[in-house]
Amino acid sequence: MTPQLRALEPTAEAGGNVLLRVTDLYTQIPIRGGVVKAVDGVSFDVRRGEIVGLVGESGSGKTMTCLSIIRLLPVAAARTVSGEVWFNGTELLGASDKVMRDVRGRHIAMVMQDALTALNPVLTVGEQVSEPLRHHFGWSRTEARERVLEVLRAVRIPRPAERLDEYPHQFSGGMRQRIVAAMGLGPSPELMLADEPTTALDVTIQAQFLTLVKDLQAQTQMSVLWITHDLGVVAQTCDSVNVMYAGRIVESGSVRRILKQPLHPYTRALLESVPAIGAKRQKLYQIAGQPPDLANLPPGCPFYDRCPLRMEICREQFPPATPDRDGGRVHCWAVGGK
Amino acid sequence: MSEPVLEVRNLVKYYPLAGGPFGTGTGIVHAVDGVSFRLDHGTTMAVVGESGSGKTTMAKVILLLERPTSGSIRFQGEEITDAHGALLREYKRSVQAVFQDPYSSLSPRMRVRDIVGEPLQVHERLGRAALRTRVGELLEQVGLNPAAASAYPHQFSGGQRQRIAIARALSLNPKLIVLDEPVSALDVSIRAQILNLLVDLQRDRALSYLLISHDLAIVEHMSHSVGVMYAGQLVELAPAERLYAEPQHPYTEALLAAVPSIDPDLPLGQIVGGDVANPADPPSGCRFHPRCPLRAELGNPEICSEEDPAAQVDAASHNVACHFRGAAAKSRAQAASPPA
Repeated sequence: MTPQLRALEPTAEAGGNVLLRVTDLYTQIPIRGGVVKAVDGVSFDVRRGEIVGLVGESGSGKTMTCLSIIRLLPVAAARTVSGEVWFNGTELLGASDKVMRDVRGRHIAMVMQDALTALNPVLTVGEQVSEPLRHHFGWSRTEARERVLEVLRAVRIPRPAERLDEYPHQFSGGMRQRIVAAMGLGPSPELMLADEPTTALDVTIQAQFLTLVKDLQAQTQMSVLWITHDLGVVAQTCDSVNVMYAGRIVESGSVRRILKQPLHPYTRALLESVPAIGAKRQKLYQIAGQPPDLANLPPGCPFYDRCPLRMEICREQFPPATPDRDGGRVHCWAVGGK
Repeated sequence: MSEPVLEVRNLVKYYPLAGGPFGTGTGIVHAVDGVSFRLDHGTTMAVVGESGSGKTTMAKVILLLERPTSGSIRFQGEEITDAHGALLREYKRSVQAVFQDPYSSLSPRMRVRDIVGEPLQVHERLGRAALRTRVGELLEQVGLNPAAASAYPHQFSGGQRQRIAIARALSLNPKLIVLDEPVSALDVSIRAQILNLLVDLQRDRALSYLLISHDLAIVEHMSHSVGVMYAGQLVELAPAERLYAEPQHPYTEALLAAVPSIDPDLPLGQIVGGDVANPADPPSGCRFHPRCPLRAELGNPEICSEEDPAAQVDAASHNVACHFRGAAAKSRAQAASPPA
């Protein structure tokens, strides 16, 4: 019943189980009189066939992390000042532009938040979905056609053969986002970077998209790095999660562990402050204050000012990683001390 | 508690579509199409729906920013649909609004003092000193330092700006505040602060809220009654506990099933396909029928695509506009039969 999407090549097992390894990534934007530390020492892995979440609020550095990985920083002045990004045996930060052009689109696909701006309004959907295939594989339009139909069918665009020649404005918002996903899926990338792909969608349309991505991921065994601020989306899609705050990952681990037994005070506060259906609370837990200014970060833990468990040491030193029981970690002096 | 502050009957707002030969128009957008409800004094009624369902248009009409095409709006028992002059002035004073985006709803060139104090200057003609004191009090009530009065909006974060917007809405001691997606533009860790503030203010000042939102969890947390809007119509309207415990319209069920739970062990429920109905070309009969899983389960009865279901009310004032009301809530395995 469900249309199947085949991977163009079986996923190579070379390079071990870890597909993407980000180590000590620092990305900064110089401003008058200082620097904005957008990404401030981020390390995490994405394993093959895994959906990994990167959660955080606006300004926490999740999108900048993602754009640093494929080297598409939006601000001309922004620089990744140090760190390593290993993808399938290649280090990307030091790679040539030629290597990056091959990686982007062919091996790493991106799905952005706003489908209307991600699609070109004057090109037909067929042309846009076939473009990465023609570019990366040198296929002609006719050669690409079969694959385009297969991908559009897989993302559940009804009557794809007829709709190939239509333009983006002729599709609904949910369909447009699925077309953007189809563009990314065409060349069978090993990794998909999904930056808040459902934030602009309605709930029922979001639910359709979440199940679609999970199905396609299971069929093709690609890995997904899913960026979101929505803990519900994380719970329903991801295998593991990294929680970001002020440019750092403060806690990471399996979805179940993080959402059911959060260790970091920020993760805990975030979970308690979100109203959940069925959990009638008299009063929502509120996190006092606001996130710190990234151009003027305190030397210690960035959550210090808002933290109910803060101690003297927190003000001076960022806490080292304390492992949790199943392969995750948390950066907190109060939790690590136990 | 039982005296209605606002009563809306058969509210309709149509917009002509531009274009067509000689500018004759190419159709009508059925933005709001026959909405009725009452909001009791001191309570919160929420209207939930997806984009294009008409909830914001409904809010605009109730605020009389747009006049309705037909229908009636009564405020504290008085008909205000065609109000003008003193009555309109009095209504606009008693009914205030807080909008979604505090970045665009506050003038960047006005100081906080003038933003919050403007309604007082217009309606009460307060002197400088009195105005200064009142603005200070209002800022304190929304959790801001009175010293903030001399600053400009850009000097504040999103949450603080929303507090400024709330202070302005409170300045004339309104009876009713229309909250149009009041926390959607705010970060997750800031939302709770604003929601708690709104709940506290309601309790302290006996305010009534009409809350427009797409977020079912926030609506459950805030509301006493909830209306579910689809393509310009309220398909279900009930006390909040009833609606969440026993949703009866298939669309309400679909909406609730689509909200991703933060518990990874509670997967998404049955997902409806298709797209949100287009208000410029609404489906015939029940507007949800092309997407309705219950209709499909019942073997596509003709009545769904032919007749617009009228809302039916039960003893617990649970209104449902569905030909097969309640069937959705019953065992899905059993084939339901149409009501006699």
